[in-house]
Parts: sequence; C-alpha cells; structure tokens
Amino acid sequence: MPIIRKEYTAFWSVAMRRILHRYEAAVLKALENETRLDLEGLLKKTGMGRDEALWSLEGLAKDMLVRFEKQREKSAELTEEGKRYAQAGLPEERLIKRLHERPIDVSGLIGEEGIGLQWAKKKNYIGISKGKAELTEEGRRSYGKRTEEGVAIGELAASADAYGRLAERHGLISELERRGLLSITEKRRIINIGITERGRQELRLQEAGRDHANEAHASQQRLIEAVDKATIAGRTWEGRSFKEYSVDVNVEQKDIAMRHPLRGIINEIRSAYIGMGFAEINGPVVEPSFWVFDSLFMPQDHPARDIQDTFYLNEPRKIRIGERAEVQRVRKAQTESWRSGWSEEIAEEAVLRTQTTNVTVRYVKGILREILKANGRYELPLKFFTVGRVFRNENIDYKHLADFYQTDGMVIGRGLTLANLFDILISLYKSLGMEVRFRPSYFPFVEPGLEVYAKIPKGDEWIEMGGAGLIRREITGLPRKSITVLAWGLGIERMLLLRKSGIGSIAELYNNSIGWIRNQEVL
Amino acid sequence: MPMLLFDTQYLKRRIRYSIDNKRLRDQIFKLGMEIEKLDEKEMHIEVTPNRPDLFSAVGMARAVRNFMHKGNKFNYEVSGDAALDIRVGRTVHRIRPYIAGIVANNIELDNAAITDLMDFSEKFCSTYGRERRKIALGMHNLDAIKAPLEYDAYRDERFLPLGYKAEMSFSDISRESEKGRRYGIEAAGFFPALKDTLGTVALIPVLNSERTKVERHTRNLFVDITGTSEYLVGKSADMVAAMLADMGGGIRRVRVKYEDSERLFPAMQRAYIKMQLSRIEREIGVDIGYNNIISLANKMGYEAALLGSSIRFTLPAYRLDIINEQDITEDIAIAYGYDYIAPLKILSAQQGRLDKNTVLLEKISGLMVGAGYSEMMNSYLTNEGENFEKMRLKPNAVYIRLRSPKAQSLTMARTWILPSLLRNASLSVHEKSPQRFFEADMCFSMNSKAKEEYHLAALSADSRANFNQAKALAEAIAHALGIKYTIERAGHQSFIPGRCARILVNGRDAGIFGELHPEVLYNFKIEEPCTAIEISLDALFAKRQ
Repeated sequence: MPIIRKEYTAFWSVAMRRILHRYEAAVLKALENETRLDLEGLLKKTGMGRDEALWSLEGLAKDMLVRFEKQREKSAELTEEGKRYAQAGLPEERLIKRLHERPIDVSGLIGEEGIGLQWAKKKNYIGISKGKAELTEEGRRSYGKRTEEGVAIGELAASADAYGRLAERHGLISELERRGLLSITEKRRIINIGITERGRQELRLQEAGRDHANEAHASQQRLIEAVDKATIAGRTWEGRSFKEYSVDVNVEQKDIAMRHPLRGIINEIRSAYIGMGFAEINGPVVEPSFWVFDSLFMPQDHPARDIQDTFYLNEPRKIRIGERAEVQRVRKAQTESWRSGWSEEIAEEAVLRTQTTNVTVRYVKGILREILKANGRYELPLKFFTVGRVFRNENIDYKHLADFYQTDGMVIGRGLTLANLFDILISLYKSLGMEVRFRPSYFPFVEPGLEVYAKIPKGDEWIEMGGAGLIRREITGLPRKSITVLAWGLGIERMLLLRKSGIGSIAELYNNSIGWIRNQEVL
Repeated sequence: MPMLLFDTQYLKRRIRYSIDNKRLRDQIFKLGMEIEKLDEKEMHIEVTPNRPDLFSAVGMARAVRNFMHKGNKFNYEVSGDAALDIRVGRTVHRIRPYIAGIVANNIELDNAAITDLMDFSEKFCSTYGRERRKIALGMHNLDAIKAPLEYDAYRDERFLPLGYKAEMSFSDISRESEKGRRYGIEAAGFFPALKDTLGTVALIPVLNSERTKVERHTRNLFVDITGTSEYLVGKSADMVAAMLADMGGGIRRVRVKYEDSERLFPAMQRAYIKMQLSRIEREIGVDIGYNNIISLANKMGYEAALLGSSIRFTLPAYRLDIINEQDITEDIAIAYGYDYIAPLKILSAQQGRLDKNTVLLEKISGLMVGAGYSEMMNSYLTNEGENFEKMRLKPNAVYIRLRSPKAQSLTMARTWILPSLLRNASLSVHEKSPQRFFEADMCFSMNSKAKEEYHLAALSADSRANFNQAKALAEAIAHALGIKYTIERAGHQSFIPGRCARILVNGRDAGIFGELHPEVLYNFKIEEPCTAIEISLDALFAKRQ
C-alpha cells in the first residue's frame, strides 16, 4: 500500500495541473508578498479559521506550493499555589523564619506549614528531635536568604520570558513542576510560512484562469468531486481524475440498527433444532398450576411451588382445567405415588409458568392420544421444541431477574433410549459451538434424569445448563413397553454468557440501553 | 437442592476404607452429587431432595461403600419382641395422627456422630419433612425414659424443654419461642405431645425435653417419628433404623398401639421388583448382560437375583424414593456410568419447521431493522406506575396482577410494550440521537380470561420527530405486511392531542401511533421529542368477523 500511494503522489505532482480550492487560493494570495509569516499572522491576514488554514497549508505543502516549519514551543505558567508562594514566599522559607525565633512542636504544623516542614527537612534546613523542629546549621545559614526556587518563582511571576532563562538551569524547572507550582504546556507552532516558486506559478495560473478564455480548459482539467447523474450519463470522467479522499480521516460512527444479542442466540438455537429436524411449538405463559406442576408429577407440597419461588396471580386467581380425563389421570398418579391427597383447587391456581415444559407436556398429551388412536400407523419419532420466557419470583437487582428464557424439547418414539437423549443434547450443543457432559440428577418428571453441563472448547468451566431425562410413564400414561418420551429443559441466557465474553450478568441483557446494543458484536 | 455439610474425617471413618479426596469426589460425582467444597476438615455436598437416606455422613458413606463394592450391606432385618410401647390416644388423630419409634441399644456416640445425627435430623425435617409439617423426628436418651410412652394431644402443661433453664408451658413455647412459632401445632387448646410416666418427653414437632437429651455418654437411643402420612412415617423409621444400625446400634422394635390396632416399627420389609434385563437395556441404550447386572445392582444397594430371563431386585429398606421399575432403571444407568453410555443417533426423516408466530415475528423484526430500529427485549413484568401512570393513564379495571411479588417493582404483566421502550430510552438519554427501537413480543390482558397477544411497538427519539414520521412508518409496515387498513384521528392520553391516530383493520382497532405527550417524556426523563407506534399483531391478522 505505501509504495503504491507514493507513486501515485509522484505522478500527481508531476503530471497534474493543480486546481486550487478557494481556501488554498486565499492562502497563496496572502503569502504572495510575505516571506516568514507564522500561522497566527496568516490567520489574521486571511481571516480564515485555524482548521481551514491548516487543511489548506497541508495540501499546498504536499504539492510543494508552500513551505513552512513546525516548531515546538514550551511555555510555563505558575499554578495557583505557585502564584501564592511567589507573593508570600515558599512554605519552607516561612518556616525557617519562624524557627529562627524558637523550635516549634511538629504536631502543630499542618496545611502549608506541614508542606514547609516536609521540604525544609528534605533540604536539610531543619532537624526534628523530641517532636520539635529546630534549625540545622544549614538552616541558620539560609535564614534571611531566598532559596533558589523562591527566586525562580518570583522571576516567573514577574515575566513570562523568565522561563527561557530558567530552563537552562538544570533540574530547577522540573523540580518546580514536580512540586505543582509550575505548569508547562507544549504548543506546536507553524512558522516561516512562505510561498514557493511553484506556488507563485499556480497562483498566476489561477488568476489567469479567471479569464473567460481559459475557463473551459480549466473546468475540463478540474478534479471530479461528487459523481452525479451528469458525470455518468455525460461520460465527463473521461480524461479527468477524481478527487482523493484521505483514508486516515476520523469519520463519524455509523449506528447500525441491531437485533438484540439474546435474540441472536435464540435464533441460533432454533436453527440448530431445525437442522436436527425438530418442529417448533408454542404455548401459554399464564397457566393453571396443573400444567406447570401437577401434570409434571410434582407433588402439591413440592418446595418449587412455594409462593416464594413461583409467581401466583391475583388476577386471574384460578384457571379452569378443561381436560377432564387428564385431571383424573393426574389425580390417580399423584395420590398413588406420593401417598397424599390431591386437590384440584390447588391445581387451578393461576401462575406464570416457571418452565417451558408446560408447552411440551401439553403437546405430548394431545399428540399421544392421536398416536395411540392411530394404532401403530403414526409416523414416529416425533421431534419438537419450544423457546420462551419463564418466570421466578425473585428480588431483582443488577444480577438477578424475574424472567428469562428457556428451551424445552421432546422426542416421542418407539424404543428411544438414554443413549439417544445424549446424542441429541451433544448434537444440539455442538451446533452451538459447545461441549456437554451429563451427571445423574433428580427431577420429579423424568427417570432416569440428568443434569446437563456445557463449556466452550477453550474454556475450563462447566456450567449447568438444565435438566433432561426420560419422561415418567406416570405422566405419559403410556403402557410399559412401546413408546418412550425423551425430554430436556435448558437455560438460554447462560449459553450466551458462556459464549460471549464481556457480558457480566444475565440482567445486563435486559437493560437495553441503546449504547449497549450499539456496541454489541453480532457473532 | 439441600446443601449438606459433613465432617470429612467422620465420613471417611464411616466409609471404613481408605480413600483419598480425589477418588471420593469422583465417586460422589458419579453417584449424581456435586461436592462444592472438600478439605481435610469439612465437605459440602448438594444432594437431590428425593434422597434423604444420603442426608447423613452415615448414609453417604454407605452409598459410597456400596458403589465401590467395599462390604455391601443389603439386609437390615429386625426381629424379636418390642423393647418399648407407645400408646396412641384418641385426640391426636385429627392433629398429627401417626407415630413410629425405634430403639437402638449399645450405640457409641462421639461428638462427630452426634453432630451428624443432629444435622441429619434438621435437614430431613426441614426439606423432606416440609418444615416438619409432613414429618419430623426426635432423638432421646432411652435410659431417661420411663416406659410406657403415650402419644396424644394434651391441654396446656409445663415441662423443661431441651436447652432451657426453666420450665415452660406448651402455649408459651408455641407463641414465644422461635421454633414454637415456626413449627408449633395447636388445635382448640390441645397440643400433640409424647409423654412417659414421668411427664412430657417432647412437644411434637417442636422441642424435646431436657430430661431425655442425647449426649456423648448416651448408650441407648430412642427415636420418635411423627407425621401426617402413615406410609412415610413407617418408611422414615426404616431409613433411620438402617442409619443407626450402620452406626453399630442394636436395633429393637417399638410397638405402637392404636385404639383398635397395633404396628411394630421399624418394619424393615423389603419390597421386590421384577424386571426383564432387556427392558433396562432398551431404556438406557446399552448392552449390559446377565453377568454384569447383579454387580451393577449391588453397587446401588440392591440385592439382585436372576429368575429366568428376568431379574428380581430387592429394594433397600432405607430408600424412600423408589416408586417403580423406572427408578431402578435409573439406578442401573448410574451404576453403569453416564460417561460410558455411548450416544446413539435417532433415525428420523422428520423435517424441521418454525412455529408460525416465530416466522411472523422474524419477518416483522426484519422490516423494523431495515427501517433503522434496533431490537429491544424487555421483561414482561412491570408495575402500575410504569404501565399506566407514567403514560398518563388510569389503571383499567382488569389486567394480570401478581400475588406476592418479592420485587416491589413487579406487580403486573405488561398490557403494552411502549412503556418498556420508554424505559429503554430513559436509560439512553446520553447516547447519540436519533434513537430508534422496537420490540415485537408478548403483552397480556384480561377479559373473562387471561389473554396473551403479540404486539409490535416502535419508538423514535429524534429532535425532528413529528406525527408524519409515525404515520409513514405505520403505513409502511401495514403495506409491507399486505394489510388493508384505514387511519382515523384518535384521542389517547399518552399522545399529544391532535397528533395521534388509530389504525383500523376490518373496522377493528389494531393499533395507535403519534407524537408522545411531553408529560410522558418528562415522566421518563427523556429529553427529545418521541414518536411511537403500538400495534396488536393479533388484531392486525384477525379474520374478518
């Protein structure tokens, strides 16, 4: 790249006639009868702003129409503290004055006197014994005299030119700067601006170009700035060049409208499922407890059903369960297996679902009736999934949320096994770029049951993603042999946290400040 | 899940086989439990709530020992005459009907053993016993008890409770002590209690008496178990008896005499389940073989025998969680090792497809991003202040309300999305303008039933925002979706009067758009004018009625 650019510039400067921008023309004009103007002088003379003038000068110098020098210039200014000391004397000088009369208790020296104490001690003017400060030999000698720094800040306060002289005295200026008495600023100046011979030629051409006779010639030579309809249709680019843009310029940040990062991973999960031949289903968020708990074989005194953990509703308070046969089956399974009573009233209590398993279990119940009716002619296995919000009654803060996403999936088939379930989960996570492992665990509605842990290939942390297992026959109501149902429920935000570095907590995903969204990467 | 804390040295002593920490961690993981912490002094393990037999170091050691085939013990049978009688009175039947007892003789207790017993009791009663409501147990020094025992509900009386300096009455304990308030049962001035001839042994299920306190030198233990389910009280007695037997106690039976019947505890009856090997293999998806199945069963504490082509599993008496064959299949899978089950592909020709709602929402989101709007995802939950008041609306009569939210800011399900987007905008006031966001997701309402519907809402915060922009967007969306619509002037409190319109589809209200009222913006601390749209997608695609 750099080589090409150099050649191009060389070509430009030799072969091309320079067309002057009006600012450039104004600068050349102003320099016509000057030899050593500085930038301030140029600004005054042209009435231009600093940026336009600099831009013009850089461009002109590149084509050797003007020359100038850059100079760095330091200037020094006393700080507020410095100014004060210039008036009143340095704290250590004042302290020596006081100590000359009598030793002083150190503990009483605070504020500027404290500063004085530090410096006087450092410079060996005083010594401290038994908590009292007294002058040393050196200190007594300097009584009545001003210190080197004291003199320097006096001079600096009197005249700005003093800096030049003092700068030659080794260490003094830097000492004052370190003490915070002097602030030094460095300015870049542009001086000795002058027009070159070539510049004068161009200026003459430019002025001559105002002649009508040369106008056509000049416009033909003019660089193309914006390409417009006329440029294209009229083929006016022929024989002309295009104005170059700087590739280094800082351009304004472009805000691209973005999908939400969480939607990104949800859609990836959907794609993964679709790729594995799963069909998506959907279902209610507001449910009677029945479909969230009872139909999943959770006893009515199960701690997860506690109002501390689950959002129960005041409106609606209860939701009728339509499916009478299902209610009877659940009642039977619950009372027999848990050896306790089962109340339909409790099952009617309205909740916000705590898991998306309500969707898959509703679907399974419906489809199983059809499968059994079809008497072996139904095409199995049947694979389906859902993605949706679930809710937990939580204290929300920057880390904890009350709603988040979950995905549930099931496969209904003949002779499906735990080994099949493993394969599905491994494939699902593999297409999301993660590895999984399994650990036996307990959930009331599956047996065998397991927990799913995942990690990214380079990571070393296994994060719990959710649970899985073979749905108990108490739930499906299926006879012993024949059909089995594989099921799993997995958290989604966790996958995102695992995959995307830089997201601190799940709650961050729901803050939705536009600044945050704008800075997300999509991969 | 219950988190258990064990004394590492005590657990290792109970395993009775030298095992290093790494191996111990590995074995317990394979059994399905996570060790959170393990050092020379103590260990923390998370155990699933269905396995109270693992809530003690004694029980955990038994499981590890079995799993490693180091001295499996299957049979905990008890025989012989009852060592103690408990007569059950008539009154207690309505309050807390069932009791079981166990006697363990010549048991050796040290501090670690007592701590383990007490911790077990606490965990068991609080989790499996549902805060002692369903089931509770108490341990006593048998030698301090003067038989026979009587269990009934009594009127208020006084005794010296465990850990107290002075006598207290049942009612004082129930009303004033922390345990009393948490666990106390009182019915019309009657309290369930266990007594011997000397007085109160325990106020059930709250406090034992100081008199029968278990200490290091206690040699003979009596355990009472009370609850609301006869089956679970009996099974729990089996579990505790197995634990005390493992600790070296000589288990003796206790006779519980009801008015018209009597029972002996612990029953220690072992149930059998017969299963075909092929069925287990078919559910797990591995070949196990007759040679291995017995050994795998033993690992999980089952005694097993071949009976023709099926296996007879004898269930351990201490397990409370085994319902039927499915539970055994799981245990065999655990013994086989989840890590050794090779994943197996399912053959299926099914085509994947997206739900029609997903397809629609994705298409709409595509449109909105194309129009320069970024997607937001907000909580479905909100409060009246945000959903109504900040929007200059009065709460309408019915909407979905939460019962006892822990977070005060969550009291209801949102009825529309716009307030969520305004909250997003208020978080973004320092960001570069114009800002445009949308959300296409769920909202909730109530008529006679809870109703869930999808809305599309969009917000544009822009110093040049005006009504026409909002209208242009609304029309572009409707056009792109192929919807026939009409637009009419509307009055809505959240919008500026005269700068708000309604979009009608088939004559039905499908949405609203316009310039938001400055007071709404003020309420959300937004500094730029905003235009907004909220459309019900359900109404947009509703069939003509």
